[in-house]
Amino acid sequence: MDIQLKRGLLDVCVLSAIKNEDSYGYKIIKDLKPCIELSESTLYTILKRLETAGMLTVHTSEHGGRLRKYYRITRKGLQRIEEFKSEWREVMMIYRFVTKEDHEHD
Amino acid sequence: MTKQEFLSALEEKLIGLPKANIENCLYFFSEIIDDRMEDGLSEEDAVAFLGSVDEAAEAILREIPLIHIAKEKLKPRRRLKTWETVTLAITSPIWVSLAISVIAVIFALLMVGFALILSLWAVFCALVGSAFGGAVSGFMFLVSQNPLAGIALLGAGLLLAGLSIFWFIGCQAATKGILALATTMAFSIKKRLVGKERSDNE
Repeated sequence: MDIQLKRGLLDVCVLSAIKNEDSYGYKIIKDLKPCIELSESTLYTILKRLETAGMLTVHTSEHGGRLRKYYRITRKGLQRIEEFKSEWREVMMIYRFVTKEDHEHD
Repeated sequence: MTKQEFLSALEEKLIGLPKANIENCLYFFSEIIDDRMEDGLSEEDAVAFLGSVDEAAEAILREIPLIHIAKEKLKPRRRLKTWETVTLAITSPIWVSLAISVIAVIFALLMVGFALILSLWAVFCALVGSAFGGAVSGFMFLVSQNPLAGIALLGAGLLLAGLSIFWFIGCQAATKGILALATTMAFSIKKRLVGKERSDNE
């Protein structure tokens, strides 16, 4: 898969994992597991990238006697998810058109 | 490997990056190890899940812009002593010109790459323009006074249109290739600037 495309998809996956509630690194990896296997270093770089782009913010909370970093989606992050949905509606239409001929030949 | 061993090894690999970046990164990995242990894994298993230190360091390095690493490298680690400042000032004609040359070479290489991309696409535009011009003027000649010249021009226009399609495919591949080469170059420079072995030799 094209690297830029994959990057974009991973960004949206991570944003979706924190869309409904704030989450932390390990939980994001666990939540995304059914959809995509993400290594810790990959997740770290994605979170950094999204934070720099202003799509999420980080805050620290106490958990079991230690501090844990929680990630919260911003308005910009939510917008990115919406943009992704509308972009992919078009992509799916093209995909259906492209594969239609294959089905007809089968 | 224990948590502390993993974090120390990773820190060594990242020396040369901005301090805040290293701290953030170590904090992140430390937290994940703690969370996995809380989930029932032993410390060694939790660390094993993270993969190799090299993989982690490379992934992090790819994301940090080269300019940030270069800035960090140029920062003096401590206050300079008087004799060091004097020596630096005296030898400045040598090192300043050397530094400018190195930066100029990198900049020139980048510019050559981008100029190449630009010129390839300029040729593509010229081909499309000529194909269009040939087809239109050919048609005009065809319907007016000179059908033979018209056919020749139309043919030339179509030939150029065909060529422009091939040129477009080539341009796309060349653009991707040059950009990939620039990224690889930046990554290898980053790898040379970061890491404990290199800092020790300096």
